[in-house]
Amino acid sequence: MNPFEKIFNYQIMSRLDETGSFAVSSQERSWLKTMLRHEAAAGAFTQETLSKLERLLTDEEDFRVKDIIMEKGRGEERQVYHPMLRKLRRLIVQGKGVKISVALKHGGSHQQQAGIPCKLEYSMVKREWYLLWYGTRPHALRSTPLRSIESLEEYELSPQQSASAKARLAEVLEKRMRTAVIEVVRAYNSELSRIVSAFSCFDKTVSFDDNTGVYRLRVKHLADESEFLLLKIRFLGLRVRVVEGDYFIRRMMETTSKALMRYQADNEEE
Amino acid sequence: MARESFDKEIQFLRLLALTGGAYSRKQFADRLGISVHTYDKTLRYLKDILSAGQQGLTPEQSAELTAGFRYNHYESADPLLLFLYRAKSLKETESARLALIMAALRKQDLAANDLMELCGRELPADAALPDEKTIRGDLKYLEEVGVVKRIDGKRPYRYRARTELIDQLTDDELIDLYDYTDVLANTQLPSVQGYLLRDTLKKALRARGLGPETTETHVYKYHYHSRILDEAHLYAIHKAIESRRKLTFLYLSPKRGTRYASKNTNPLFETQTTGVTETILPLKVIYDHQYGRWYLVGHNARQGLMKFRMEGLTGLEEGAQVSEEEFAMRLSHAEEKLRHSWVIDTMRSFRVVARFYNPENSSHNFVKARVLAQGQWGEITEETESFFQFEITVNGLTEIKPWLRSFGSSCEVLEPRWLRHEFMAEWKELQAYYEPVREDF
Repeated sequence: MNPFEKIFNYQIMSRLDETGSFAVSSQERSWLKTMLRHEAAAGAFTQETLSKLERLLTDEEDFRVKDIIMEKGRGEERQVYHPMLRKLRRLIVQGKGVKISVALKHGGSHQQQAGIPCKLEYSMVKREWYLLWYGTRPHALRSTPLRSIESLEEYELSPQQSASAKARLAEVLEKRMRTAVIEVVRAYNSELSRIVSAFSCFDKTVSFDDNTGVYRLRVKHLADESEFLLLKIRFLGLRVRVVEGDYFIRRMMETTSKALMRYQADNEEE
Repeated sequence: MARESFDKEIQFLRLLALTGGAYSRKQFADRLGISVHTYDKTLRYLKDILSAGQQGLTPEQSAELTAGFRYNHYESADPLLLFLYRAKSLKETESARLALIMAALRKQDLAANDLMELCGRELPADAALPDEKTIRGDLKYLEEVGVVKRIDGKRPYRYRARTELIDQLTDDELIDLYDYTDVLANTQLPSVQGYLLRDTLKKALRARGLGPETTETHVYKYHYHSRILDEAHLYAIHKAIESRRKLTFLYLSPKRGTRYASKNTNPLFETQTTGVTETILPLKVIYDHQYGRWYLVGHNARQGLMKFRMEGLTGLEEGAQVSEEEFAMRLSHAEEKLRHSWVIDTMRSFRVVARFYNPENSSHNFVKARVLAQGQWGEITEETESFFQFEITVNGLTEIKPWLRSFGSSCEVLEPRWLRHEFMAEWKELQAYYEPVREDF
């Protein structure tokens, strides 16, 4: 098995595409066959479709490559599929509105809020699904974990309403964008690969000053992702320093003095 | 694509993806150990592939290669780096012929002779027409990779495209299959075959008139995009492990400045660099979710258990076979050693005790939720209203340290004592990073 088969070549792909045709290789079928054993499959298909797929894949070999992989440092896999995904993805495509009741973190629930669903988002860190939607009252873009949606009802929207909500999505997200500049402390330049890897899950650009030998990463992120970026900055410790982004600088100052207080308080007890 | 060229492209793409925009052409070429000429040539080639692969995407989704890879995951969940796997070079005539054969076999069952006639009719008049041997060779290849199958029956044998997985599904079922492939390729390992299938399903949906709105409903955040480049080595390693064979490769430690070693037999590569040639018995690969990086674990008679970053592997060659007993012994030894590795550390193990403080003024204990989700095999041993104690036995301390530190002041290390002192010293040093510079008047 080799993912570099010429059958996957881009010229073949685009030629097939021109005729509305396609090719499915045994590698892809094997992969699917093995992935269908994941418990997520039960929530992803009707029983009828699942049986049909299993029947179509009976003769394929198992995708054994999976067996040699050990995964480390992975967050607990809370959910890969959520029962509401199938319904919500269809409502998004059909341009429907939704009325949802959301359980609140601190107990109780918000009843029957109306809104327009835009995207389904999976966080690789939290390992769960969120619905990005516009609440109609108040008008705001919201992100709600599917796990806390208690009930879901659809309602008709005019095509204009749904189209304008989706068009505004990019605009609102852009408004929420923040930028931080993180500098690699020069003594750690040899660990550059580790450092840029840690930030590679963000939209970022790297600059390098040939004269000073200093690398700087300009990281674009949504305002509500600041905590996650902060966690990455603390994760890397002495290797990096925030040079632009008042919020992060203030939070790093707070963190360091609070952490030192914890250790010192305890030392005095001894 | 020659192996030489392939190793270069992987390194090239990784450097672009990770440090995109940072270097000038000259600096970039120097870091890869290639000439500026080769840099330009490779970039041109990759651009060609990328633009061919992006037919039908909106302008916002198209990526500018020279500026490095910028990701805005709200625009698309398409993995840009997947195009590495589509880069195998192919003659124009061959790609035209293979595509023609596959498209024809999807419509009806045909024999080699029918296909020869078809090529005569459909291929451009100035192209040399394929002979029977070529067509039989094509069919043999397509059958091997499972794209077509031979129908039982009398000679001449007829062939059929194996697209039933898609053709037998209703639109609604195809949407469910697309979603499942999308979700599993994005959340599980390995993912390259899943992404390739996802592309195919997307095209199948489009052919049925279900356009981009149908396939752009899901997005994924905090992906390590370059992870799929290292999957390139996974199959060669898997094959060697399955057949209990040793692997020899040139290892370029990612900590060194230069990332790609050209062989001086190739006149295109003017710069010569060296790595270390290693021979090991491969046992496992490890994927680290904290950085999105891959490691190869193997055994070597001289140094025992060894670990390599997958991104440093070039020129993999299979070598001698070992006995089943030896392989089993080495594997169980490695598994035992790695049992308490936070990632790959197999040093002496320590018991780490840390106190985590519950957040104030919040009824949702996000600190505890994160410790439970990410604390691997560690355990909570004591709990009070304001804090809880976490204990874990772990090999070495360098790998768990960043995780503990990422909790900031919500985590206080108690044991080992010297780790506690290290944390104190580090927080002090970090505090100095952010202290306002005092001006002298």
